[in-house]
Amino acid sequence: MTALRSTVARLFGAFDGEIAGAPDADFTLAPQTVEDAARMLDLASEHGLKVLIWGGGTHQGMGNPVEPEMLVATTALDRIVEWSPDDLTVVVEPGVPVDSLEERLADRQQTAVLPERSAGATVGGVVAAGVSGWRRHRYGPTRDRVLEVIVATGDGRIVKGGAQVVKNVTGYDIPRLMTGSLGSLGMIGRLCLKLWPRGVRAVTVEVDEPARGLAGAYRPLAVLETGEGCRVYLAGTDREVEAQAAGLGGTDRDGLDWPDPPSGEVVVSVRVPPALTTEAVGRLPAPGAFVAAHGVGVVVAAFAGIPPQALGGLRSWAEAQGGAMVVTARPEGFDLDPWGSPPESLALQRRIKAAFDPVGVMAPGRLPGGL
Amino acid sequence: MGDGSDLLGDLIAALGRHAVRSEPLDRRLFSKDAGVTSGEVVAITFPESAAEVAAVIRIARRHGIPIVVRGAGTGLAGGAVPSEPAVLIVTTRMAGIEVDAANRTAWVGPGVINLDLSVHTEPLGLHFAPDPSSQAACTIGGNVANNSGGPHCLSEGTTVNHVLAVEFVTADGTVVVAGGPAPDPIGLDVRGVMVGSEGTLGVVTRALVRLTPNPPAVSTMLFGFPEVADAAATVSAIIAAGVIPAALEMMDRPLIRAVENFLHAGLPVDAAAVLLAEVAGHPDGVEAEADLVVETARRHSASEVRIAADDDERELLWKARKSAFGAIAQIAPDYYLHDTVVPRTRLVEAITGIYDIAARHGLLVLNTIHAGDGNLHPKFAFDGSVPGEREKVKAAANEVVDLSIRLGGVLSGEHGIGLEKRDLMHLVFSAVDLDAQARLRDAFDIDRVFNPGTVLPAGARCFDFGRQPPEGVWV
Repeated sequence: MTALRSTVARLFGAFDGEIAGAPDADFTLAPQTVEDAARMLDLASEHGLKVLIWGGGTHQGMGNPVEPEMLVATTALDRIVEWSPDDLTVVVEPGVPVDSLEERLADRQQTAVLPERSAGATVGGVVAAGVSGWRRHRYGPTRDRVLEVIVATGDGRIVKGGAQVVKNVTGYDIPRLMTGSLGSLGMIGRLCLKLWPRGVRAVTVEVDEPARGLAGAYRPLAVLETGEGCRVYLAGTDREVEAQAAGLGGTDRDGLDWPDPPSGEVVVSVRVPPALTTEAVGRLPAPGAFVAAHGVGVVVAAFAGIPPQALGGLRSWAEAQGGAMVVTARPEGFDLDPWGSPPESLALQRRIKAAFDPVGVMAPGRLPGGL
Repeated sequence: MGDGSDLLGDLIAALGRHAVRSEPLDRRLFSKDAGVTSGEVVAITFPESAAEVAAVIRIARRHGIPIVVRGAGTGLAGGAVPSEPAVLIVTTRMAGIEVDAANRTAWVGPGVINLDLSVHTEPLGLHFAPDPSSQAACTIGGNVANNSGGPHCLSEGTTVNHVLAVEFVTADGTVVVAGGPAPDPIGLDVRGVMVGSEGTLGVVTRALVRLTPNPPAVSTMLFGFPEVADAAATVSAIIAAGVIPAALEMMDRPLIRAVENFLHAGLPVDAAAVLLAEVAGHPDGVEAEADLVVETARRHSASEVRIAADDDERELLWKARKSAFGAIAQIAPDYYLHDTVVPRTRLVEAITGIYDIAARHGLLVLNTIHAGDGNLHPKFAFDGSVPGEREKVKAAANEVVDLSIRLGGVLSGEHGIGLEKRDLMHLVFSAVDLDAQARLRDAFDIDRVFNPGTVLPAGARCFDFGRQPPEGVWV
């Protein structure tokens, strides 16, 4: 270990910054370039060190815990490399905070449709976690907008997949594979995202029930239900938004008033076919904050002091509907698999992981089925 | 019954005589797709279920013969053309449709014809959004294999955005479902990799597709411009103004003249370029966006502005866009249809460059362009019976690829790589990138049972890169 320490110090210099919230590791590193990251991962593979990639730490609760020997933070990879407003694309490094990217894009009324309340989250982290914002009802999930990735693989290769154009069938879709892979294949070193115009006008309308929002509005940004009520989010031209808001008949106000993400001791994300969203809300096993995305099929709920077995019924129901109940935050010792039943394609996924991380150093065991 | 020594006998024993063909005429008919390459077919099978697909895979493997999957054969890149003698799996008899209206999804067989699906769901006010120009003939399985687009993918996205799950048979004959009816399936996105994999990773036997509500209002407009640059500037200005139309299609003068001669739709034959724009959505939104589109086109010197007054006129305008192939047949016996992409801001340079290339080779080129996406479809018209013409077209086509890549683009927007562009992959990917793609393919099909010789160039897998799994590790 001492020899390895001096090798790391010689190659990458001593990193003395603090990575807030990150677990202790034998080596905590913050590459300045994707080439640096590749050299670090090559070294990890050579020495069989377990690696955890760290962005803003906001989605690290997802998946089985990893006790890293090498922690690679994207902190120093924080440049917006190229924004082409007329092509509706942006190229960024993974450590760019979601909020600062969206703020910048708002200068030209554009958005990357990244999750709305994303304080502290990085673009790379959101993509690696495969997390989508509420506006997915209108624009689809985050994975539909990852056009190109440059990845440092688990064994230190630098691989490009996709391209910086909005339409492309040139080779296999590596950007989609990286989205939601939770750092289990490599580190995303750079990515190109597709953008959307924001719409000149946006309003939030309170309605009495979700069905009214879904039936009464044409392609709203979102129809969200919380413990406080139900809101429909609209954006577009003035005329369209006003007509749609009037058609919904509720009270409306300017701007998009997004709910806080439910937070608590235990947080779950229930995923079911969209028509079952209301039933999923009804099946939440205990009172607590929740946000239900109607028309999408996602319910995020937070609980305090809930025993693991109280969530079993909700999970088996969601899985029987072809969905899942994923635990995204839990206290230490909470004895419940974060994912539930592994996917049917697990054997295939194991071989796919090996194609990118042959030695198996990247977040081992984090994915469903202990992958 | 087959005794294991006779491929045809084994296939017939497994599927029945009605589902296996091998007469010389059949083998010839199925030896090519709608493009220009052809290959050798040993037997053509028409399985009706995943179990039958698995049986064909096992039999072909036992006989050491690769498998090529084919839908309607409308592909242009040779994705369904064997690179070596192969057994064909034709998906046309797997054509079931099960709609889940409440969730706006449908499980469909790969042999379902794209347009038939939308016709089937029309009474529910739903449609399948990807609409390639071949939609009256091409199959959903083919769309999944090539991640097909079409004019309306500008606002709706390509096939991958509309496929929630795929059921497929792997190289060892196992049936696997990847994805599902709920959002964000857990684990790696195997579904996302299957879409656009051109039949090289497995045989898709069902797909769960998303159905899109028909828009309550649509406005279709056609503009004529004195210069190609004006049309391209209009495209950029519309998008810069924050409007993503449902479709933004460009046609150039040679194509407009050919189509007008064929269709007599009253197209502006003196325009250098015509733009077909469609906005769709909420009636008030459509009205506001149509106003903006018309105003933008006028500001960029549109000499002709035509707004479809009713559904008949809308259909006529779209027919003009989709009649390109029929129109070209009047000009020359053969054409070569190309498919590359450039960033939409580089369209003018791309089109000017294509004209230069055609002029240098003494070829006639006609252009239809999915302008909103920067997806170019130049068509070189030629007579294949004249010696040297095919070679000239091929040279010109390769120059178009070089040009597109120089402008920041890619080899294919929606037709795929297949055999046609396999050897050009190194223009956009490094040896390490191609090796990673080959490793990914190995994860699914290490023995190259499916469509060998397509998509990736020979020797793409290079054992010099990265690290090998440690001894004893099972992957």
